[in-house]
Amino acid sequence: MLPDLPAPELVAQLRTMLRIRRFEEALIGLAADHEIGHFHVYVGQEATGVPALALLEDGDVAYTTHRNHGHLIARGVSPAGMAAEILGKATGLNRGKGGTLHLASAAHGFPTTSSSVGGPLPIAVGSAFAFQELGLDRVSVALFGDGALEEGAWHESINIAAMRRAPVIFLCENNSLEALGQKANEYPSSTLAAVRLTDLVDPFGVPAVALDGTDTRAVHEAMAAAVARARSGGGPSFIEARTVRWPGNRPLWPQLLTGETDVAYAWDPERIPVEHEKWWARQDGLLRFLRELLGAGLLTPGDASAIDTQARAEMAGAMTFALQSPFPRPEEALEHVFA
Amino acid sequence: MSTLRFIDAIRNGLDIEMRRDPSVVVLGEDVTYGGPFGATKGLAEAHGSRIRDTPISEATVVGLAVGAAVSGLRPVVEIMYIDFITLAMDQLVNHGAKLRYMTNGLLRAPMVIRAQGGARGSMGAHHSQSLEAWFGHLPGMTVVAPSTPADAQGLLQAAIRSDDPVLYLEHRGLYWQKGEVPDEDDRVVVPIGKAIVRRPGSDLTIVSWSHMMGAALDAADGLAGDGIEAEVIDLRSLLPFDMDTLLASVGRTGRLVVAHEAVTRGGMGAEIAAQVQERAWAELAAPVARVGAPFVPPPFAPELERAFVRDADAIIAAARHVLDTPARGGTPTPSPEPVEA
Amino acid sequence: MLERMWLIRAFEERASEMYARNQIAGLLHLGIGQEAVAVGLASALEPRDRTFGGHRAHAHALARGADPTRLLAEIAGRSTGYCGGKGGSMHISAPEVGFVTATGVVGGNIPLALGAALAATYSGDGSVTAVTFGDGAGQTGSFHESLNIASLWGLPILFVCENNGYAEFSPLSAHTRVERLARHAETYGIPAVTVDGNDAAAVLGAAQVGVARARAGGGPTFIEALTYRLRGHYEGDPGKYRELTEVTDWKLRDPITRFVADQGLEADTAELEDRARAAVDAATEAALAAPRASPDQLLSQVTAAVSQ
Repeated sequence: MLPDLPAPELVAQLRTMLRIRRFEEALIGLAADHEIGHFHVYVGQEATGVPALALLEDGDVAYTTHRNHGHLIARGVSPAGMAAEILGKATGLNRGKGGTLHLASAAHGFPTTSSSVGGPLPIAVGSAFAFQELGLDRVSVALFGDGALEEGAWHESINIAAMRRAPVIFLCENNSLEALGQKANEYPSSTLAAVRLTDLVDPFGVPAVALDGTDTRAVHEAMAAAVARARSGGGPSFIEARTVRWPGNRPLWPQLLTGETDVAYAWDPERIPVEHEKWWARQDGLLRFLRELLGAGLLTPGDASAIDTQARAEMAGAMTFALQSPFPRPEEALEHVFA
Repeated sequence: MSTLRFIDAIRNGLDIEMRRDPSVVVLGEDVTYGGPFGATKGLAEAHGSRIRDTPISEATVVGLAVGAAVSGLRPVVEIMYIDFITLAMDQLVNHGAKLRYMTNGLLRAPMVIRAQGGARGSMGAHHSQSLEAWFGHLPGMTVVAPSTPADAQGLLQAAIRSDDPVLYLEHRGLYWQKGEVPDEDDRVVVPIGKAIVRRPGSDLTIVSWSHMMGAALDAADGLAGDGIEAEVIDLRSLLPFDMDTLLASVGRTGRLVVAHEAVTRGGMGAEIAAQVQERAWAELAAPVARVGAPFVPPPFAPELERAFVRDADAIIAAARHVLDTPARGGTPTPSPEPVEA
Repeated sequence: MLERMWLIRAFEERASEMYARNQIAGLLHLGIGQEAVAVGLASALEPRDRTFGGHRAHAHALARGADPTRLLAEIAGRSTGYCGGKGGSMHISAPEVGFVTATGVVGGNIPLALGAALAATYSGDGSVTAVTFGDGAGQTGSFHESLNIASLWGLPILFVCENNGYAEFSPLSAHTRVERLARHAETYGIPAVTVDGNDAAAVLGAAQVGVARARAGGGPTFIEALTYRLRGHYEGDPGKYRELTEVTDWKLRDPITRFVADQGLEADTAELEDRARAAVDAATEAALAAPRASPDQLLSQVTAAVSQ
């Protein structure tokens, strides 16, 4: 169901979701022809990240993982700067020093991205701790996947966050559902003995909720409650958002296994290819959101196509910008190690 | 000037910086109680909740310190024994030390990790290591190791004021030693990256740091009895370290002995020796000699621990060796140090 | 069982005296008051089973049958000690009686124990591994990670938490909002019980259930034993962080006295105590007469290649 928000805001969220989707698809296309190293895409999870992060304000911080592109775009980071960074260019967000795994934009509330699983959790607690100490009305969000819950750092983080009633939101994007061919201990998989991920939170007395990550109303409401709780001194919250892992994310490198997204799938189901019918018809949260907007009369197919066309053009431009940008000078490798 | 014990100088430095800068907070196990050695004793009464006890969660506490540091605090984390820093390696190495670089200067992580280490009191292999070489090998890290109360306070204050993550190394064998400490702020703060000549001399240079400085100075006294004048340099900062002072000294003496408590193999002495021979080859009359622990974990029994931690005699033997080695062209005599794989 | 408890008591008291006389160097963490956990647990184990201890592990080694002479010699830094004086109190090892190792890092031994349990599943030797740790370890990441993996893999392991209410100088409540560490085991679907750690029979009962479960392939068990250390965290700890009345209250619940009363062993206890103290006297004499660890042993046993 749709969040209880004004129509223009919902449409804006659709736009953001489409921009993320087209960015990732363009990147995968780029990777086919250019050497860009390993990267991870957010396809299929947009319906979680966009409504959740839309509730943050300036000054709030979010710490994310190797699967960060969607989170950054959701908070307004320039796709051109991101693409350039992913390609290691001097015009990138981090001037080529970070790459995809460490995309950062402090101005947009992403101090850093960590690629070690569980790595951002203690740091997110740390920001929340600082906000408490400095008396700032800000929230810290830890964005991570189900895998991070296996790390000792998770256990230590939730314990300390609970002890301090820190204003931190643990948003776990569990994209392990129905992964084809997944066996226990197979990478990537959820190798956790807990029956439910929220069971890990219960001993600490932290409110925890598990929801369908493609249900944008559920995401919005859970996140709104968590933000309000944090800002009012009520301490941490845990949200598990479940999605089915996009088929293209199952191989080691992202591949357009399902083909590019066709927004017309949302209003013309006949177009959906049989081979990936389940994904397009029932599992992709972006299409679900679009269908709901259409069904509520908040958008026409024509509007959707127009937004999509714009998004494609923007992301094509971002990739071109990145390709045409220069690499940094080698001397720059030595800069900014210290103050 | 005040006469303070090393441990009290640490507390003094913390107290002064906490009064000066409200963003400084202290985290660690049992720190409100004072910690196992009393370094933070009394600070909780003075600074309330800015001194916080933490559970036994080195990884998360160090990571938390990193997150707090990028968000406006200046945390000082106490790692009770440097051996336990291993639990926090991901947070410190992958995050704390690399943030500035990865974000190309958008971010900084001003934090201090105080870690006590070294072999003293037969505490065995998990409470006795000297691990500075790991962090001297880490781009983005600053590493300091004071040997006097004045430097303990001065370097701690400098470390807290630094905008980079600093590993501040303490040795519990120094904690009860007394020394003069300036009272004025502009005299007490010791610049990071600056060594100091503790004892001038012209026959050879001995460089050391932390607890080993005592043995280095004792060795110099022993050598003086035989008319050999050793120049003894206290490095104080290990990363960055003061090559200029070292090279100026070696330029005059032509011979260098590096002494540290950590194991010789892969120790900071290796880096110093490599740099000196690269840059002062013409001035050197003998290979650089290193005195360090044998390549074993710190053993428990007192006899073994005494054999493990090198002393003034070992430094004197190394000094004699570099003095006896014939000048360039002759066959070097075998080093008194054991040969290891 | 009573005899073992007396042996532990006598040994730990003697260690304390020797430490005060500078006959033992370094740090000493004594288990006086926690004998029932060690003996209750060990009594459920067989010779093929393995135990891992923390920094307060003398009792566990002795409960498994470690030789007090070699153990005391080790703690006193003699070459006749279990580890030739190289390990010391926090790093004792007596594998021949199933006590694999202690550790100086809180929580550091838990993953080690998992490895031993895993090996048992390959060898099929039917052995069970027990790992003991304190309440302070419950907040460490490796505790969490270990519970998870043990449950996932159905490892034949007993997690035994000696909850004595303090992690060094801090009460448990300063470290976590969770009051009973057994709760964490429940999260991972590990059967968990909380028992009176000063009731050796209760500990034994719980351990037997856990051992049977493990041997039958039923996976891990978590036992939280509520107990108290009558001495400081280490020898020399002035203990200013706890009320003296708390200590005296717990003295009234002395596990040895309790066991004697519960089992009706009033007639035997004096003799068992005498025997234990005599054994410890003999161990002391032997340890003090033994040669001190010698520097020519410094370099040996670093690796298989470097063994002298």
